[in-house]
Amino acid sequence: MAASPLMIEARGVQKWYPNGFHALRGVDLSVSRGEVVVIMGPSGSGKSTFIRTFNALEDFQEGTITIDGIALSNDLRNIDAIRCDTGMVFQQFNLFPHLTVLENLSLAPVVVRKRRRAEVEAQALGLLERVGIAEQAGKYPGQLSGGQQQRVAIARSLCMEPRILLFDEPTSALDPEMVGEVLEVMRALAADGMTMVVVTHEIGFAREVAHRVVLMSEGQIVEAAAPTTFFTNPQHERSRQFLAQIL
Amino acid sequence: MTSSSPPLLPPRPAPPSARRSWRGALRQELFATPLDGVISVLLLAALLAAGVGFWHWAFRQAQWAVIQANTTLFAVGRYPLPQQWRLWLLVALAAVTTGASWGLLRSHPRADRSGTLWPFNDLVAIAVLAFLAAWLPAALKLPVPLQLRWWAITALLLVLRGVAGQWGGLVPRRLLRFLPLFWPALYLFGMVLIAGGLGVPRVPPSEWGGLLLTLLMASFAILLSFPIGIVVALGRRSSLPLLRWSSVLYIEFIRGAPLITLLFLGQNILGYMLPGGWAPDRVWRAAWVLTFFCGAYLAEAVRAGLAAVPVGQLEAARSLGLSMPQALRHVVLPQALQIALPATVGQFISLLQDTTLLSLIGLLELLGTARTVMANPEFLGKNAEVYLTLAVLFWCCCAALGLGSRALELRLNPSHSPT
Ligand SMILES: Nc1ncnc2c1ncn2[C@@H]1O[C@H](COP(=O)(O)OP(=O)(O)OP(=O)(O)O)[C@@H](O)[C@H]1O
Ligand SMILES: [Mg+2]
Repeated sequence: MAASPLMIEARGVQKWYPNGFHALRGVDLSVSRGEVVVIMGPSGSGKSTFIRTFNALEDFQEGTITIDGIALSNDLRNIDAIRCDTGMVFQQFNLFPHLTVLENLSLAPVVVRKRRRAEVEAQALGLLERVGIAEQAGKYPGQLSGGQQQRVAIARSLCMEPRILLFDEPTSALDPEMVGEVLEVMRALAADGMTMVVVTHEIGFAREVAHRVVLMSEGQIVEAAAPTTFFTNPQHERSRQFLAQIL
Repeated sequence: MTSSSPPLLPPRPAPPSARRSWRGALRQELFATPLDGVISVLLLAALLAAGVGFWHWAFRQAQWAVIQANTTLFAVGRYPLPQQWRLWLLVALAAVTTGASWGLLRSHPRADRSGTLWPFNDLVAIAVLAFLAAWLPAALKLPVPLQLRWWAITALLLVLRGVAGQWGGLVPRRLLRFLPLFWPALYLFGMVLIAGGLGVPRVPPSEWGGLLLTLLMASFAILLSFPIGIVVALGRRSSLPLLRWSSVLYIEFIRGAPLITLLFLGQNILGYMLPGGWAPDRVWRAAWVLTFFCGAYLAEAVRAGLAAVPVGQLEAARSLGLSMPQALRHVVLPQALQIALPATVGQFISLLQDTTLLSLIGLLELLGTARTVMANPEFLGKNAEVYLTLAVLFWCCCAALGLGSRALELRLNPSHSPT
């Protein structure tokens, strides 16, 4: 492993929403390079809030978060640098509906990284090939199925060549028959050594792909363990309750 | 997989009953029940009677000499005759730009659509233009050289439409993105042509009038109020309190007062509020009032558009590393403006009609010109002819705006499938 194997290091993160709600209550998490961490937990436990702090979509009041050696602070330049290096895939895809698939992919590299459009588009077509929808490049997002849209969203993140990918329930808005094709893409990414933090309730994915499963409850991490331990022999009462509900 | 499951059926064409004949459609739409039939007949009779009556008045009784004798006045007011070549040049340039843009749009259909070079709507538009060019100058009894000029200008427009449509495909799509820039450029050039400067002799605003002044006022306010509206709408959602408050103050101040009071107010106090050179005379002061008036309403339209863009769009853009201005410019604003487009164009249409209020502060735009003409003892009692002409002129301008925006809406709407 490289000198600094830690890609994400969160220490004692505390977050209050403006209405006073204490959403994160001292969360610690370290993610190494190439590691796949799956975060589970009941609705409202703060999973989304937590991973959204990693690319500063949410701020936090206490604690520290370090992304690949850069501390997340209020310094805007740091935030921009970190956002370029961390891709995010949303539950609702959030593709840009007024741009074609190819334009969705090439927007950020052209606008942010100032790369040449032709070169970016070649790369984007390669990525679309990789997620299996190269033939849809000229279409608008509204003309694609949910599974195809989510694969475009993943390719869009990859186009910025991120070192970390964050997924917030990437398959929850999909019809059952489309979940598989998205998980397939995510599996391939994990196999390629991408560092991934995935909020999901897909047990199969967690079992096979995750290196570690983390259970959150009421803004805290209750248990973090290898998937085999987590699913067969959970240590905490809350984990058992949670697993009883979803298994 | 079991042998008992029925095979999947291939699609087949719709039965003839689904594709109604127009006669069947007519019967179903108008005479489905006896009551429908009675209502339809009564309405048709009323429409017919009104139509015949109007026809009789317009072509038998009405005396159009009042219009025919004053075409120049209605068109450009008292713009000095020796300088009018500048306006002709401007009209010709506008025709060239229109024809070229129109053709280029058709030769570059959207990436996800096929698009035809000569769609039905275009053929209708061309037929209408050709008819107007052939009939109107003669009906207005324009001198023959002027009639010829109008023919030439219309021909120029149509030929460029054809040429740009046929060979516009050779222009790369990347250059096409600069097409919209031609219009502001033409506008600035047109301003120089109209007002003078840069070596062209000056024609003071007090000599502009008629349709020229109306269009000038409306287009000036439209072009400038648009950026004002966007900036103020963004300001209203800004996190800087001072910016937010001043935006709210501006919007509420303007929307709380009738335009006519603002126009009178502007004549008196704008001279103190704007830098000296900006509002030198009554015409420019009125133009600025119209601009700020329209800007406040546009800001509200744009704000509604901004509010309709899901927050996820901004989050996605930001998480890709776009800065706030970049995210606004490339992701949020295009969608917000598209949503705000119908309201915006509605605003422009009412602005165009609001220019008639300028006659109340003594400007000789269309209505002001009309009133001077009607006050002329020679044309006493010809009010109906004059007002009808005015109504038709405004109606044409508004229809053009409306049709243009509808076409733009269809072209921008990603979920609209080609037909
Ligand atoms: N903007 C906000 N203001 C106040 N409270 C919020 C806000 N956003 C979220 N919360 C609260 O914070 C808690 C954590 O929310 P979060 O979205 O992180 O949960 P989650 O674990 O992702 O849940 P789910 O599985 O439903 O997505 C919830 O109780 C929620 O009500
Ligand atoms: Mg969530």
